[in-house]
Amino acid sequence: MQITPSDLGLIARAVGLTKRYGSAANPVTALDDVSLGLRRGEFTAIMGPSGSGKSTLMHLLAGLDQATSGQVWLGDTDITELPDAALTVLRRRRIGFVFQSFNLVPTLDVEANILLPFELDGRKPSGIERAWIDELVDALGLRARLRHRPHELSGGQQQRVAIARALATKPDLLFADEPTGNLDSRTGREVLALLADAAKTHGQSIAMVTHDPVAASFADRILYLSDGRIVRDSVRSTPEEISSYMLAMEAAA
Amino acid sequence: MNGRLRDHGSTLLVASLASGFGVLLLQVTGILGAVVLADDTTGSSATVKTMLDVVALVFVAIAVYVAAVTTANTVATIVAGRTRVIALLRLIGSSARTQRATIAREGLVVGLVGAVLGALVGTAAAWGIGAVGVATEQIPAFEYSYWTPVLLVPMVAVVLTTWLSAWTGSRRVLAVRPAEALGSSGEQSAEELGRRTGRTATGVTLIVLGVLALAGGVLVGLVHPAGVLVGVVGGILSFTGVVLVADRIMPAVLRAVGRWFGTTPPARLAAENAVRNPERSTRMTIGLVIGVTLVTMFAVTMETYRDAMYAVMEGQENVEAMLGPVIDGTVAVFSVLVGFSALIAAVGLVNTLSVSVLQRTREIGLLRALGFDRRQVRVMILAEAAALTVAATLTGLVLGFVYGWAGAQAMLGSMTGEPALLAPAVPWVVLAIIVVAAAALTALASLAPARRAGRVSPVVALAVE
Ligand SMILES: Nc1ncnc2c1ncn2[C@@H]1O[C@H](COP(=O)(O)OP(=O)(O)OP(=O)(O)O)[C@@H](O)[C@H]1O
Ligand SMILES: [Mg+2]
Repeated sequence: MQITPSDLGLIARAVGLTKRYGSAANPVTALDDVSLGLRRGEFTAIMGPSGSGKSTLMHLLAGLDQATSGQVWLGDTDITELPDAALTVLRRRRIGFVFQSFNLVPTLDVEANILLPFELDGRKPSGIERAWIDELVDALGLRARLRHRPHELSGGQQQRVAIARALATKPDLLFADEPTGNLDSRTGREVLALLADAAKTHGQSIAMVTHDPVAASFADRILYLSDGRIVRDSVRSTPEEISSYMLAMEAAA
Repeated sequence: MNGRLRDHGSTLLVASLASGFGVLLLQVTGILGAVVLADDTTGSSATVKTMLDVVALVFVAIAVYVAAVTTANTVATIVAGRTRVIALLRLIGSSARTQRATIAREGLVVGLVGAVLGALVGTAAAWGIGAVGVATEQIPAFEYSYWTPVLLVPMVAVVLTTWLSAWTGSRRVLAVRPAEALGSSGEQSAEELGRRTGRTATGVTLIVLGVLALAGGVLVGLVHPAGVLVGVVGGILSFTGVVLVADRIMPAVLRAVGRWFGTTPPARLAAENAVRNPERSTRMTIGLVIGVTLVTMFAVTMETYRDAMYAVMEGQENVEAMLGPVIDGTVAVFSVLVGFSALIAAVGLVNTLSVSVLQRTREIGLLRALGFDRRQVRVMILAEAAALTVAATLTGLVLGFVYGWAGAQAMLGSMTGEPALLAPAVPWVVLAIIVVAAAALTALASLAPARRAGRVSPVVALAVE
């Protein structure tokens, strides 16, 4: 009998993941034979200097892009060879996204943005889901903003809407790429606290890409990438520990 | 720089089409004049020639007007796409005026090239038509120089309106704040509505006056055919008013049409996209509205006239055989002449939709990441194109029917000697052609953008440029 990723308590797993860009003559190796497992219910930060392959790794784990070689599982689903249509349904139902900016559909108001994943699935939220969305809306302080369009919100408010949308479907895994990159540090910390809380109180699995040591300090686990390889796998750390490691890493490079 | 000129490809096409159409029409009129002159016995051909020129110039004016609206829209769309670059140049010290003057100058150059190009093609086409006419002995051999000063009218009009439209369309340059180079400006807030109240007031006044005159024309027409002259004045006034307030009407029509498409996410987003920039959507559709209105109006009038004539002359031999072809021919010629303006508007619509989809690449990537599949993205673009053409066609049909019936009523209400109300006749063939043309335009406008949008990778939503 084969041991499945979820038997190991993993929500996502990658084996021998490699991604090359460019021509065969002049390849850029963005990811170099990376293997990892993300644990269910854990808030994992993926750290590394610019160009180390963080975004690339996230795209592959989320089924947004095709790896050059290697395999990716989401839960027990091998998504490596899934066709586009199946990946789309997977993103709809099992994955949530929070990006650095441009998270929201500009023509839809806040409520419609939050409900979009359900609508795409051709259904209305169930009673339980409705209650959960209400809870999110209140917790994120969006109640008074439901009828507003994204351009009427501040950057921090927009990020909170994106988080509400990403959490609304209770996805298996929430991906966040530099979710605080465009925010001032106080607003950024608020957003990070919300993510950390979702993991702690609701067991939400989160993978967050960042190069900000403060952001990474909110995570339960930190993976360090350098030149397309994982160079360190650490438990929760303080911002100071994280920055000194990052500095050491850059000095070594 | 290369990119800048490529931006103007559609404007160049529009300018060439308008100028080519105008020159072709005047050259053909000139040939006809020369032919008439060749066997002039009454000495009246000069008058005939002048009248033909005037009629031709009316059609040219419609085409040039539609071309101007289309160009203003194209330029405004281009400017919206260049906002970042413009803001960056403003940031490093270039003034908004300089920026705008550059765009206007590009418009002038494009207008000049288009006018000359169109004139050459139009003249060549007229020469071809003349040669074929003589060769097939439709017309006698004629002397014609292919040059009259009146040809300058469409050419100069095209140059001036393209220049002016580029200037008008680039108004938003002034509103670009240098800070927009820095911000992650996802979406502009809706364009300022305030300044347009003056235009709306004028438009509403014209509509009220025009409708009154139109009603007066219908009433007078019950006792005397001269009612149609009053009606024409009313028609021109009210239609000008409609064009002026189009920015209030078209978004509402677009919203209503969008609701028919249902509440699935692609349909809802398409409906929103069709009105997200009301000014742009209005300019995208108004040219089509003008074309469809005029074609429908003329066809309804002629069809009602045909019915009335057949009714009056009932029992008389040959009346259908004699009148039928004349009416059909007149409707066909008029429809082609006006339809050309609709073609110009269609070029603008195709181009604007395509550019605006390109400018939304990031948003489409976001939708893909959130779980829109490729088909839904394509359906969304198709529905947006359909909303635009359906709204324009419907508005044009309604207006055309009203004007066409009013015209026929004013002209024919007193025909039998006592006041009579006429039922508007439905010109089925013309209607069918309009519907087919609208469907074809929808397909044409959405095909390439939809395919491109379907291929957008969700990764672009995550990329920070
Ligand atoms: N589409 C692409 N084409 C070519 N090379 C690419 C592409 N995307 C990424 N790369 C290269 O792959 C490497 C990893 O890029 P990636 O975006 O994953 O880095 P990152 O760690 O997210 O950096 P940052 O912190 O700056 O966002 C870089 O060297 C980058 O230049
Ligand atoms: Mg990145």
